[in-house]
Amino acid sequence: MSDTATTGQTAAAARPAGVRPGRRGRPTDWRAVGAFAVLTAPTVLGLGLFKYVAIGWSFLLSFSEARGTVDLGSWVGFDNYTFLLGDEAFRSSMTGVILFTIFIVPVTFGISLGLAVLLHGMRRGRAFFRTGFLIPAAVSYVVAALIWKMSLFNGLPSGVANTIGGLFGWDVQSWIASTDPPLYWIVIITVRLWLQVGLYMILFLAGLQAIPVHLYEAAALDGASRWARFRHITLPMLRNTSVAILMLILIAAFQAFDEFYNVFMTTTGNSTAPVRPPLVFLYDTALKGQDYGVGSAGAFLLTLLIVLVTLLQGRLVGFGRKD
Amino acid sequence: MSTSLTSRRAFLGGSLLFVGGIALAACGKDDAVKAGAKVTLEQWYHAYGEAGTQQAVIRYAKEYTKANPDVAIKVNWIAGDYSAKLHSTLLTPQAPDLFEIGDFQYVDVKNGLLAPLDDIIKGQEAEYSKASLDSATADGKLYGLKMMDDAMVLYYRKSVLEKAGIAVPQTFADLAAAAKRLTSREQKGLFVGSDGIGNAAYLLLWSGGGDLLDPEGRKVVFNSPEGVAAISGLKQLHDDKSLLLDFTTDWYDPGAFVQGAAAMQWCGLWAMPAIKKALGDDFGVIAWPKFGDTGQAVSRIGGWFAAVNAKSKHAEEAKKFIEWLWIKQADLQKDWCVSYGFHVPSRKSVAARTTEFGSGPAKDAADVLANTGRAYPNLWNTTMDSAFAQAVLKIAKSGGDARSLLDEAAAKAQAELDKQLA
Repeated sequence: MSDTATTGQTAAAARPAGVRPGRRGRPTDWRAVGAFAVLTAPTVLGLGLFKYVAIGWSFLLSFSEARGTVDLGSWVGFDNYTFLLGDEAFRSSMTGVILFTIFIVPVTFGISLGLAVLLHGMRRGRAFFRTGFLIPAAVSYVVAALIWKMSLFNGLPSGVANTIGGLFGWDVQSWIASTDPPLYWIVIITVRLWLQVGLYMILFLAGLQAIPVHLYEAAALDGASRWARFRHITLPMLRNTSVAILMLILIAAFQAFDEFYNVFMTTTGNSTAPVRPPLVFLYDTALKGQDYGVGSAGAFLLTLLIVLVTLLQGRLVGFGRKD
Repeated sequence: MSTSLTSRRAFLGGSLLFVGGIALAACGKDDAVKAGAKVTLEQWYHAYGEAGTQQAVIRYAKEYTKANPDVAIKVNWIAGDYSAKLHSTLLTPQAPDLFEIGDFQYVDVKNGLLAPLDDIIKGQEAEYSKASLDSATADGKLYGLKMMDDAMVLYYRKSVLEKAGIAVPQTFADLAAAAKRLTSREQKGLFVGSDGIGNAAYLLLWSGGGDLLDPEGRKVVFNSPEGVAAISGLKQLHDDKSLLLDFTTDWYDPGAFVQGAAAMQWCGLWAMPAIKKALGDDFGVIAWPKFGDTGQAVSRIGGWFAAVNAKSKHAEEAKKFIEWLWIKQADLQKDWCVSYGFHVPSRKSVAARTTEFGSGPAKDAADVLANTGRAYPNLWNTTMDSAFAQAVLKIAKSGGDARSLLDEAAAKAQAELDKQLA
């Protein structure tokens, strides 16, 4: 499972390892080559051993019957894949995460950008608010999910959400256990926003600070309104930042695990969860159910989905395209 | 430049020495453990919550080494998702020699993970409950030695029921009516789990005369007419809004009951000391009442089994150790069951000597367990549980059609069962 969780980062990390071109003609500096080898070997070997070998093994497992074992041998072809695609639980897990992504990506993006713009325009207290919004990014997902579950959104009249609701005369709600209406989305989405928005906001702020001030001054002289300046200067100048952030949010959404797992966790795990994103489903299958074959197949289906969506997004918004 | 290079070299060299030193120190420590004993057994326990349990098992291990100086035991206390960690470690060379298992699963036997224990249990069968032996038996052999029995029963608050003029529930209809009557803004009638499901679906199924698998363990039968009717009872509890939901702790913790958030709670015997401390004598325990006239009252029997890794080089030594501890040392078994938490000793002779179960609610709970205790069949695995639980979720909370949802889940569970048996 961690294979899929880090594939994206791995690909990115492997790229800069190439040597810069354009040094032909000079005699080879063997000392430098040696130093290069010594310095990069641990990472390359580590990546190779712990990532690519593991990913390859997992790929082979996805074509085997592997219950309670990670030994290869009993090949079953595409059985694991057809089983998953025919399994209502897995399909609803995939459609669930797609719907979740469609909602959470623009919301996270919008709020992060909005906060960054507001903060960027502040004259005083910018550092204070910046730190304030960033601190949640340092909080563990597990801890935050448990605070949301046990303190903010518990089902008691004394819970924070119910106390606030009580001020408006609302009934005591069970925020996580009730599925009709599905109030648990409020819990899941607020905890994710609280955790993630700060970090993306910082990235946007860095992007905003790189925009030359004279562009705004010139536009102001020309009588451009605030909105026009935002629309025609800020947004276009932030394009590269935005595209990168969009991709990060997207991948993070598809890999949602911790807050779902912890908010819905009971003594029997996540079997009674009203929604199980793919990683929770695969955790249950591979690690709790000890079915590594089906678990691996699911991991590759999820990877395929992430790759497709990322490529599609690249097409639409032009990731890596030159300005 | 040259100075910085030297210092870099010095740094690198220093780091290498440091790492090497740690490696050496680690080896040295290992040797020190083995110094006295020829064999060191790695033993795994899940992290018990009760204070003193870890020290207790370490003490048992030391006592064994005192009596058998050739064998040392290294106790590993595993926090977190024990079952997942255990099963993934069993696939590696770092696998422990002996360990405990909560829910016994047939697949472990099928995969050759567990060593049969028939030779050490021979002649001792009558000491254990049938449910405990059945759970750990596969293909005619026994693979786990019950360390203690956990009883799961229904706790009720005497004073609250009396005040409302409600008799102790005898049937599910009584229970549902009582739960509804006892529900107010500050207190709910019944707590079965934060998700409003917990064990309730299993209890309803059994109490209605249904079961998970047929007696031969070849067919999934929870979608029988009795099963469908009984499981639908959970929807009634949800519709009545008499269940406590989203409490801060789950059903295994007595928090909701002792804080008065629920008048009745499904919980374990392990919580009885805490409940007694908080409520004195103001509580009683019963089995989950029968569903309808044809049903029967049920409770759940849980607990932990000692098991031996079949692939261990020291399987024989490990077997000798668990025979010594969990069969021969009656005093240690009693200590383990009642000195820290509160469990029923799994051996009848030890339970008979344990005065703590001689009277009061503790005796009631032990009786309930002996008369009505049920355990999951070892062919029942997490995938089947998942299919079942998802159907129950939709029946209880979203008003789905019980018949068709359970049929669907049964078909899925049957496919999984067939794969296990293949």
